Amino acid sequence: MTQSTYPGGTEKPPGSLIYRGAEADILQGTWVGRPAIFKVRKPLPYRLPELDSGIRRQRTAHEATIMHSARKAGVQVPWLYRVDMPGTTLVMEHVYGERLKERVGDSAESSRLFRALGQDVARLHAAGITHGDITTANVIVRRKELVLIDFGLASRSSRLEDRAVDLRLIKETLVGAHARVATRAFEALLEGYSVEAGGREAEAAVTQLRSIERRGRYARVT
Amino acid sequence: MSTYILGVESTAHTFSVSVVSSDGRILSNEKSIYKPAAGRGIHPFEASQHHLALAGTVLERAIRESGVGEEDLSAVAYAMGPGLGPCLRVGAVVARTLASSLAVPLVPVNHAVGHIELGCLLTGARDPVVLLVSGGHTMVIAYSGGRWRILGEGLDLTLGQLLDQFGRHAGLASPCGAAVEAAASKSSSYHRLPYSVKGNDVSFSGLLTAAKEKLDAGVSFESVSFSIQETAFAMVTEVTERALAFTGKSELMVVGGVAANARLAGMMTTMAARHSARANLAPVSYSGDCGAQIAWTGSLAFASGVQVPVSDADVRQSWRLDTVDIPWRN
Repeated sequence: MTQSTYPGGTEKPPGSLIYRGAEADILQGTWVGRPAIFKVRKPLPYRLPELDSGIRRQRTAHEATIMHSARKAGVQVPWLYRVDMPGTTLVMEHVYGERLKERVGDSAESSRLFRALGQDVARLHAAGITHGDITTANVIVRRKELVLIDFGLASRSSRLEDRAVDLRLIKETLVGAHARVATRAFEALLEGYSVEAGGREAEAAVTQLRSIERRGRYARVT
Repeated sequence: MSTYILGVESTAHTFSVSVVSSDGRILSNEKSIYKPAAGRGIHPFEASQHHLALAGTVLERAIRESGVGEEDLSAVAYAMGPGLGPCLRVGAVVARTLASSLAVPLVPVNHAVGHIELGCLLTGARDPVVLLVSGGHTMVIAYSGGRWRILGEGLDLTLGQLLDQFGRHAGLASPCGAAVEAAASKSSSYHRLPYSVKGNDVSFSGLLTAAKEKLDAGVSFESVSFSIQETAFAMVTEVTERALAFTGKSELMVVGGVAANARLAGMMTTMAARHSARANLAPVSYSGDCGAQIAWTGSLAFASGVQVPVSDADVRQSWRLDTVDIPWRN
């Protein structure tokens, strides 16, 4: 099993813990003198080590390459400073701003942000990337722009099914965490998606999304 | 003064009747479980015949055991859905009959809400992230804005179905969870199986196929049981952890038949500790389907004015959790 060390091979954390996610610890520190975020995939104590280390290494490498592709596709993502494979750690730009979940509301501004998010998602999809975890916690609003973070579950796929799963996840998050404005926010997102991807692509994705929802247990899709 | 509510559960293999008091005492919880032949799953019609044959006995025992007279019941609750149609109809008939003859209100209860609310009653959880894992559900749930919301779920099989269908492939009789758990505890040899987490959702169909293939290729039942548990439980623990991290809630609760599995409970406890959250595990004796989940939720609903006229007291095979209003939590 891989010994989990931080970049530089030390056991000392490179910064202070700002968020403990399901997948990784997010630490805030500095890298070559500039503010940086360290995304450290430490072993999950509940997961069997044989299973765990493979998943962590695979997700770390994968995330790095996909972030690069996302940037090429015109989507704002944090700059990647370093990939540390033995430590399953990514060192990246510290993006300052608010999470989208703090900005969700009834306002026109909220709708504008969701339209912009829809455009970003469409750009990713056009480049053959599905994010796999687009929640309102994984989008940072920097000044007026969106920066997408956490590509840990992203994959390369151009399948309609995977694109629809991506959209379904956003819908799920909205309904689960922002129930009151979910419908409006999701409509705005689809609007943005449609502007970027074209009406036919957007329609196909929505049709597939419905079909996935019908596969859900006890589902009644309207 | 407390009131007494009788609840009838008959969504799948279990026919159960319970009497609870409105202050949260479970006075009786009688049940009879239909068992299909080895290697086979639940046959809905056969299960309903089982329920029909035993309904009278179970009902009578539940009332007698509770020490509450029929005339002291304030309402009759029943599992309106979701579940197997023929089975649900037996419960509905029993409940309609009893409510009309006693002239008390009839309260419809969603079976999944029943698992959650009974779990809260028994563990003291107030506002938890819930993992509901059974033969009928694999869902990560949290309360928000008047309803229990689904934050993640199984995209194909449920966790209970995964274990059952795997066990049946090995020739066991359903439900197979306990046998798989016992076999798994005898091995520590891990065989790689597909780990499929898609965002907040999990998919088990590829895992089931791969596990069956391992068995067919001659890998021991113990080793494959160990591997299927480690893989599937880590998947649901991961998505539950995501929901916990995302919602920022400080309590976790595991309910449903698979909550009886000690390995799953161990993983959830370890995971909760990482987030300084309290892990609430439903007592094993109440983790499976039972009348108490219906009676207790019926009691909460009745106190909030939820009831249904006998003429409209039908069943809903596909009654999704997140469509049910929960007035008592506001």
